Amino acid sequence: MAELIGGCGTSHVPSIGIALDRGLQDTPDWKPFFDGYIPAKEWIAEQKPDIAVVIFNDHGNAFFLDRVPTLALGVAEEYQIIDEGWGKRDIPAFKGAADFSWHLADAMVEGHFDPLICREIELDHGIQVPMELFFGRPAEWPVKIVPIFVNTVQYPIPTPQRMWELGQLLRKAIESWPGNERIVVFGTGGLTHQLQGARAGFMNRDADKAWLAEIGPNPEKYRGWTREQFVETFGSEGAELIMWLVMRGCMDAEVRTVMSHYYAPASMTGAGMVVLENEGAA
Amino acid sequence: MQNPDPGAIPETPLFDRERSHMGYELNKMAMALVSEANRKAFAADEEAFLDRYKLSPEQRAAVLARDWQEMVRLGGNIFYILKISALNPMPVTAIGAAQVGMDHEDFLVQRLGKERRNG
Repeated sequence: MAELIGGCGTSHVPSIGIALDRGLQDTPDWKPFFDGYIPAKEWIAEQKPDIAVVIFNDHGNAFFLDRVPTLALGVAEEYQIIDEGWGKRDIPAFKGAADFSWHLADAMVEGHFDPLICREIELDHGIQVPMELFFGRPAEWPVKIVPIFVNTVQYPIPTPQRMWELGQLLRKAIESWPGNERIVVFGTGGLTHQLQGARAGFMNRDADKAWLAEIGPNPEKYRGWTREQFVETFGSEGAELIMWLVMRGCMDAEVRTVMSHYYAPASMTGAGMVVLENEGAA
Repeated sequence: MQNPDPGAIPETPLFDRERSHMGYELNKMAMALVSEANRKAFAADEEAFLDRYKLSPEQRAAVLARDWQEMVRLGGNIFYILKISALNPMPVTAIGAAQVGMDHEDFLVQRLGKERRNG
């Protein structure tokens, strides 16, 4: 069976990609943020995963409001970079782990999750930025990807508990896959941010730090929260953090937090990451 | 969220059925700007471009004035209307400040906790 080598939670703020495009990594605004990801890059370079399953949300780029899938699953051999309105970013297209994606499609439907299955779809910063933060800017990405899109834009968005259960199903799908690939799972989005309304610019550094500290040892605290609690605590767009629960739900009950990093604000957002390994893993 | 109460979380417009319905054409117009050809058409003749969509007079005025607070009030969602800002790029924090009705620098300091740059 395939091996789950770890789970990573990370921000996917578009400004991070813009900072990379403009070479701003070493400016005072950005250096502390990017420096914090150096150990994460080292970790993943040592781990050499073959497949990255990335849970993220499209930000009104691949999907408009005319049709809003609560869950969508990419099954393509290749994913192009999407033009979000500023022109297409100059980063490599992603190779898809199409066989594993179809296996996951079977597992999801058999497990009573029913995703929109996407044979051809372009990907936005929600997946680009996590890949850049962990793999840098290679000429070709060193892993194949499986994108899982979660609707976090149009209410009703899925519940935190449902995200957790999707993670548990993902774990079973990894374990029932006959290949011997090394698989890493990314939950992306957050941390605190609110971009709309008179509460725009809401920051909750204490809640962000607590989330990073507790998502490994104490996810129970969060999976039973309502969506309203996520919005209230992390801001209207910070509710994206529910997607980290997919990542956490696919890990063992006992995990060790290998590293974490926090910096705020990145643009208007609390930003950071966590890397988790199963306690039983070598 | 069945029947979300817009007043449940203060000053937070959740993008629910009502807002999605109200803002549909506005967001659709903004979404069209992911195409280079549409960006050129918008830049060349904004009024003519807006004529292609069924915006309310208020929505149309808000777009022409780049009134971000008003666009959101009228059902605009940030992920779509942000594409309008790509025509004359501005930081998202400036759009955030406009949502609150604050000076940009004050917003960076008071809301986001950045250090004040000018005095």
